[in-house]
Amino acid sequence: MGGSGEKPQLIVDGKRLDGRAFDELRPIRIEADVLKNAEGSAYLEWGDNKVLAAVYGPKEAQPKHIADPNRAIIKCRYQMAPFSSLEEHGRTGPNRRAIEISKVTKEVFENVILLDQFPGSEIDIFVEVLQSDGGTRAAGITAAAVALASSGIPMRDIPYAVSAGRIGEHMVLDVNKIEDNYSDADMPVAIAPRSGDMLLLQMDGALTKEQVSEGLAMVRKAGETIVRAQREALEAKYR
Amino acid sequence: MRTILPGDKISDTPLRAENTIVEGGKTYATVIGMLDETKGAFIPLETVWYPREGDYVIGIVENSKNRVYTVYMESPFRGLILPPPRPRFRDMRHEHTERQEVLQIGDVVSAFVREVKRESDQIILILDRPRRLMGGKLIDVRPSKVPRILGRANTMLTQLQDMTKSTILVGLNGLVWLKGGNVPLAQRAIAKIQDEAHINGLTERIKEMLAANSGTSGA
Repeated sequence: MGGSGEKPQLIVDGKRLDGRAFDELRPIRIEADVLKNAEGSAYLEWGDNKVLAAVYGPKEAQPKHIADPNRAIIKCRYQMAPFSSLEEHGRTGPNRRAIEISKVTKEVFENVILLDQFPGSEIDIFVEVLQSDGGTRAAGITAAAVALASSGIPMRDIPYAVSAGRIGEHMVLDVNKIEDNYSDADMPVAIAPRSGDMLLLQMDGALTKEQVSEGLAMVRKAGETIVRAQREALEAKYR
Repeated sequence: MRTILPGDKISDTPLRAENTIVEGGKTYATVIGMLDETKGAFIPLETVWYPREGDYVIGIVENSKNRVYTVYMESPFRGLILPPPRPRFRDMRHEHTERQEVLQIGDVVSAFVREVKRESDQIILILDRPRRLMGGKLIDVRPSKVPRILGRANTMLTQLQDMTKSTILVGLNGLVWLKGGNVPLAQRAIAKIQDEAHINGLTERIKEMLAANSGTSGA
């Protein structure tokens, strides 16, 4: 969505531009605990996306007035590195998009972390996008979930995220940058795999009710692969 | 032994165990751990320290006011050292008064958690029997690895102290104080314990490592 100029043909001979089937994920590789100084961290490569996530805390909430006496608060910062994409991301401080993604990422984790165990404290989540190729908010959430699990912060579940989109009348899974720019709709979703709870659902563009259902079914099916990658990353630490 | 991740089912029945939650009558893990299915025991591998009365902790004095010391403990919980209760006349006569240790901001102290108090804005730990630790080196470790650094009945810690000739105090909050002897070797051994806490035969490996390196100077 939001692309300018002439729209390229995104589906050629029944395949997407990078040769994937409509319901095919890009290859995912995750490594847990890559940063020495963080309580928990993860590095994720998802297609051409490269994302680093780090978790600190729980620690005393600062400044004091933002502390919640009944539960921990989460501070989340999603940021794209200045060199992460062809577009400009070099401004000082977060832009409007980064503030939005930080907020939705924070809300995803507010639903899975047992915040009431640490009243008055804060948990910091940092997501740094080193290289972007579309779907970085989903990649950030998936990486941050692994970082949180490796930190020992108690959680109900390890959530994953992926986006579905629409190209013409076809629903597609895990849209990349060019598809994101020129597709007709884009729908990032985050899910807690054990309960099946949906923790994030955003939509840019227009989808019919049936297309939403088809997209969500694709997301849930792809979840098995993403969850496996998350599990392998965490289990590899203890082999 | 099976590796368990947050959200994995531990039991089909509700259990009261640490680092678990019960939902819909079933018990699920909330942290990474190992499940010993024969004993039904869940051993966490990564956890955040949650204080209990009687815990031995190490912290740094960060503030003092009216003989009340605030102690930073590398956790969301703040420790407080209160002045001893004012002695009654009869106690004074028998010289049963308790002297409070005078501390400075920045001092490293060890203490026991006497009480875990839920205050209006955070959890406060009332500390008891504070002891100032002079000199030495303070390092932080993962609180979940502390039981491995201590070992069963403190065997690992005794071995570390015997072979490095260092004095090592291990706070359950994840701060370790070392002094004397071969501190760098003790530090390397503690790092190895943390990295290999989940692999069997750790005590033997640490013993070999200490024996192989005990000739090297600590300075």
